[in-house]
Amino acid sequence: MTQQISVQPRNASADHATTGDAVRVEGVSRSYGAVRAVDDVSLSVGRGQTVALLGPNGAGKTTTITMILGLARPDQGTVAVLGTSPEDAVARGLIGAMLQDGGMMPGVQVGELLAMVRNLFPAPLSLRETMVVAQLEGLEKRRVDRLSGGQSQRLRLAMALVGDPELLILDEPTAAMDVEARRNFWHEMRGFTDRGRTILFSTHYLEEADITADRIILMARGRVVADGTPSAIKNSVGLRVIRFTVVRAETSGFDSLPGVVAASAHGNRVELRCRDTDLALRALLNTRPDAHDIEVSGIALEDAFLSITDGVAA
Amino acid sequence: MRSYLALELRRSLRDRRYLLLVVGWPVGAYLLFSTVFGAASDRSEGLAPTIEIMIAMAAFGAMGGVLMASGPRLAIDRQVGWLRQLSLTPLSPFRVLAVRLITAMTLSLPAICLIFLTAAVVKDVTLPLWEWPVLVLCIAAGCLPFAAMGIVIGSIADGDGAQGLTMVLYLVLAALGGLWVPEQILPAPLQTVANALPSYHLAQLGWSVARGLAPAIGDGLVLLGWFGVAALLAVAVSRRLTLRTV
Repeated sequence: MTQQISVQPRNASADHATTGDAVRVEGVSRSYGAVRAVDDVSLSVGRGQTVALLGPNGAGKTTTITMILGLARPDQGTVAVLGTSPEDAVARGLIGAMLQDGGMMPGVQVGELLAMVRNLFPAPLSLRETMVVAQLEGLEKRRVDRLSGGQSQRLRLAMALVGDPELLILDEPTAAMDVEARRNFWHEMRGFTDRGRTILFSTHYLEEADITADRIILMARGRVVADGTPSAIKNSVGLRVIRFTVVRAETSGFDSLPGVVAASAHGNRVELRCRDTDLALRALLNTRPDAHDIEVSGIALEDAFLSITDGVAA
Repeated sequence: MRSYLALELRRSLRDRRYLLLVVGWPVGAYLLFSTVFGAASDRSEGLAPTIEIMIAMAAFGAMGGVLMASGPRLAIDRQVGWLRQLSLTPLSPFRVLAVRLITAMTLSLPAICLIFLTAAVVKDVTLPLWEWPVLVLCIAAGCLPFAAMGIVIGSIADGDGAQGLTMVLYLVLAALGGLWVPEQILPAPLQTVANALPSYHLAQLGWSVARGLAPAIGDGLVLLGWFGVAALLAVAVSRRLTLRTV
């Protein structure tokens, strides 16, 4: 059940001057001990795109990002960033990144730390602008070890932004945020993408990827299982379900109904995973008048992931 | 690189507990030892006890300042993920290590200077004027092996472990290196050990200068040898710190 959906990036023409992909990962695998964290992954991110790496915990998102940053070497395959090696791209200040386990220098103030990191980059943002975008105003004098969880997260973001990098890589940037903070975050990031910068971020929230990304790369169990626009991904996953009971024990053939992605049955109870429940329901009522006790509901994203993951394993 | 060095130095000098440990302890020990043994006759080829102990305690304090500023700090910085964060900036791993080495070396200075000041003011120690800066430089430069040892410890041990390991190393080097009790009154087997330790040769550098002699080449070579070994080890294990090959 692997979908490779080819898409034209929304703003592919925005950056014609610089050719080549921002990120190109080819046939990359990486194991930790017996665990194959990333298994033959290939993906590319065009310049100027905002791409979400979506998947449940353990899908291999962080390992993939770690290799794109050159902090881990692939066992197999190649990684290129902005036409060069990850190490070179980092050394030239072309990448800004925010990792889940990135920490802050203990014993210094927020303003001091940001000013120092800013000095390491060739063409950074102003300190003031960085503080505004990362919503850190008023915290310049605060010791970094006395920040709250949310403030630390914003400081990590500021560290990624302050160098005004070509490519921004964010590993679960909104993990600790509530819905409103997440909305603010992406609102602030608009300024960054509007300047033609590239963002690759990981998340396990489909809604977030849907709203913010030009393209979603869906990962499960170390593999890329789908790659396409948010709407294409949502349709292929089938996030709505119709459940009903049938009188006749005949339960095959449901998966060929329009709007249905997959069908399963337990005795006389049938479950249809749908991309379009309206369409599926009409067809169902026409073809199977014996269907009753009909329920239509959404399913949890985690369940949707699991079905794709099972598809990969099979 | 310079801005990172400046920030490292600033945060080190801001850490009062650290300063108390690496400056207060040797200064206190100097006052105690030089008061207790100060009246004793010259023990070491014409050096007054107040001067001999001053050099020993300056070496002790310098070594502590350097060891404490490298190993435990690096271990904590690694543990909290700061070094990982730093590896995402254009600062090369070599420069990160260089900054940490320079920072550690610089932190030999507060103890040396304060002990010299205490000796001059409280114990009326007088030396030819040129000897003071030469002594400071010799003892500070002689701490190079300890800075490299600290990088090794910071790479292999976690925060608390590094603190403990550093303290044990510090005390062993001080006691067996003849900084607390003169090497001559140690039992013969321990004297052999002392003669091999960098801490002993660090103090020897200072004692030579205080006697008005040039620092012995032999002491310098032993210190360089220790630095070489520790630096090789440091480069071998430092990937754990910088996450990239130096």
